[in-house]
Amino acid sequence: MELIGLLNYAVYMAIFIGIYSLLALGLNIQWGFSGLFNAGIAGFFAVGAYTSALLTAPESSVHLGGFQLPVVAGWIGAMIAAGAIAWPIGKVCLRFRSDYLAIATIGVAEIIRLVVKSEGWMTGGARGVNKIPRPFGDLSYLYSQLAYLALVLSIVFIVYLAIERQISAPWGRMMRGIRDNEDAATAMGKDIKARRLEAFIFGAAVMGLGGALFAHFNRSITPEAIDPMIATFLIWIMLILGGSGNNRGALLGVAVVWIIWSASEFVTDQLPTEYAIKAKYMRVFIIGLLLQLVLRFRPEGILPEPQGTADRPEVKTFQNQESAAK
Amino acid sequence: MLKKIALAAGLFSATALASNAVQAEVKVGLLGGISGPIAAMAPPMLDSAKLAIQQVNEQGGILGGQTLEAVVGDSACNPQNGVDSATKLVNIEQVAGLIGPHCSGSVLAVANSVTVPAGITLITPSGTSPEITGLEDKGQVFRTVPSDDFQGRSLARTLLNLGTNKVAVAYLNNDYGSGLANAFKVEFEANGGEIAGYSAHEEGKASYRSNLAELSRGGADTLVVFDYGDGTGLTILRQALENGFFTNFVGGDGMKSDAIIRELGAENLTTFIASSPVGEKSNSLEIFNEAYKAVGGNPDAIFVSNSYDAAFLMALALEKAGGDAGKVSAAMSSVSDGQGEAVLPGEWKKAVELIAAGKDIDYKGASGDLNFDEAGDVPGSYGLFKVDGDAFALQQALN
Repeated sequence: MELIGLLNYAVYMAIFIGIYSLLALGLNIQWGFSGLFNAGIAGFFAVGAYTSALLTAPESSVHLGGFQLPVVAGWIGAMIAAGAIAWPIGKVCLRFRSDYLAIATIGVAEIIRLVVKSEGWMTGGARGVNKIPRPFGDLSYLYSQLAYLALVLSIVFIVYLAIERQISAPWGRMMRGIRDNEDAATAMGKDIKARRLEAFIFGAAVMGLGGALFAHFNRSITPEAIDPMIATFLIWIMLILGGSGNNRGALLGVAVVWIIWSASEFVTDQLPTEYAIKAKYMRVFIIGLLLQLVLRFRPEGILPEPQGTADRPEVKTFQNQESAAK
Repeated sequence: MLKKIALAAGLFSATALASNAVQAEVKVGLLGGISGPIAAMAPPMLDSAKLAIQQVNEQGGILGGQTLEAVVGDSACNPQNGVDSATKLVNIEQVAGLIGPHCSGSVLAVANSVTVPAGITLITPSGTSPEITGLEDKGQVFRTVPSDDFQGRSLARTLLNLGTNKVAVAYLNNDYGSGLANAFKVEFEANGGEIAGYSAHEEGKASYRSNLAELSRGGADTLVVFDYGDGTGLTILRQALENGFFTNFVGGDGMKSDAIIRELGAENLTTFIASSPVGEKSNSLEIFNEAYKAVGGNPDAIFVSNSYDAAFLMALALEKAGGDAGKVSAAMSSVSDGQGEAVLPGEWKKAVELIAAGKDIDYKGASGDLNFDEAGDVPGSYGLFKVDGDAFALQQALN
């Protein structure tokens, strides 16, 4: 009984880490490889979650829908919708650099959150969307969790491979070039605006997929889930801690942060009951402290971005050419 | 890296210790929004739930003298943390039942992905979303607070009976406000009333005059406000009075707040009425208030009586089910179905004796009679209150 309990918990953790991995991978495309400071992850998460929910949920009097499309269509729709929303936002906001872009994207995410809350005819408002189908949801607790885990892991694996491939392709090298030295990239004739927009949309679509997986896992989505604390800043912490610019770092960061966050509750529960409630805040503190320590002692993260090593000879050549040009 | 391994090892041994220490203890999960947007509301609610558990243990314990232990989890009022915490409570702590979470969004997610698949019964003291009624929950989700539907609908019918058939509605844009407003609107219009203005507002702005001006344009002279009287609702009411946008005001239970009388003065509130739950004619509420004051709590804090009832009902259901988690949901409906010998808050010993004797019991809660329907909901009993002197006085009951 105990063992099955542990297994259930472990499987749940793995599912959650898988879903948040998509958000971190999406952010890694935008920040890690392209240097776009997107502080509006929650917005794209929401667009993905709600799009997929509305496409697949049964008819309801409180929100749009009743399409009852297959789940796969919902997930593809989520990626398309998140990418489509990212396009005008990117068009407007990507002219800003770093901090200004961050402020603009926070604003955009808030706009999306308020639209979701206020436009009840479409999203169900505060009541949210419910009865979203969950693949393999009819199986027993453990098996339905295991099946969903397999699904999430295979999606994360495919997305990971796709991003890795894209990043080691000339496109990825170009994006890193733009990130590190915009002037040099312009001088080489790169269309920086268009390239950045591509990266922004690519990342947003991956985030949207993460949102969709989350909504189907819980069979419901409410505006409470798109709080910036849990759907934006936590992902930033995960990426920075794991190592931005490195996809494996992003995955590791998600796992480390969520395991610490979740498992630390067991430790704080050992405190005497009069402190038990206060101790819950310790967890928030631990995550903050961890971020401070990482930024102080290892700003590049646990797994830093690989720098022109043997397995990426073409990067080295590129850098050599660059230094020769100087 | 070594440090991390050490940390992980520490965590695992801590968990192992926790599970080995369990001897003759029955665990229930107490899941609340400790951190997050309702951080101020959650601690009194958890305290009142703990009071129920303390009473159980003082009066001989549960299931033949075992200790009832509450394991507190933090749902942070969002589905992510709620599901995480509930998964731990159900699988690692192996709780026999779950009291909470507090916020509707967490309740929906936790029920869908943890407690219903795991066959654990959940009872929430403050999840008011009408969506909870429609959950496919195999009868395993209960609540001790009426759905927003009940209050909104009964208020709509009563207003129509009083001859008010054209109103404007202003509501706070959260699950509480929009749930109430939506139910009110549907019922009001279905029975021939006219909604001349209907708009949501965000919390904490300095001025709502533009919202009010927009609402009054529809020509109604009655404003229905679904908001909190010690927050935005006060601002709305004040600005509506100051600028004469409306003459009559109707509020939901959140508006029945002493802050309104204190701030605006009773003489300005002659046209203000508010609906609010009324306790049944039992003295359950007084018994609870005394007991809660005795442990240093404030019985007027929001949802504390609902939270106490949830914990007490969970204990009763566990006792009745003989500790079998699979039977708790059936037992839960039977210990509070309006039939059997009445059990009041704190009367644990009496309840245990009655259950042992095979008699039917009926818990009369501090927050109402709490007779569960098939969906695990409780009907609310509401009354209309008007301002009388420095306090609210019951004007008439709602149907």
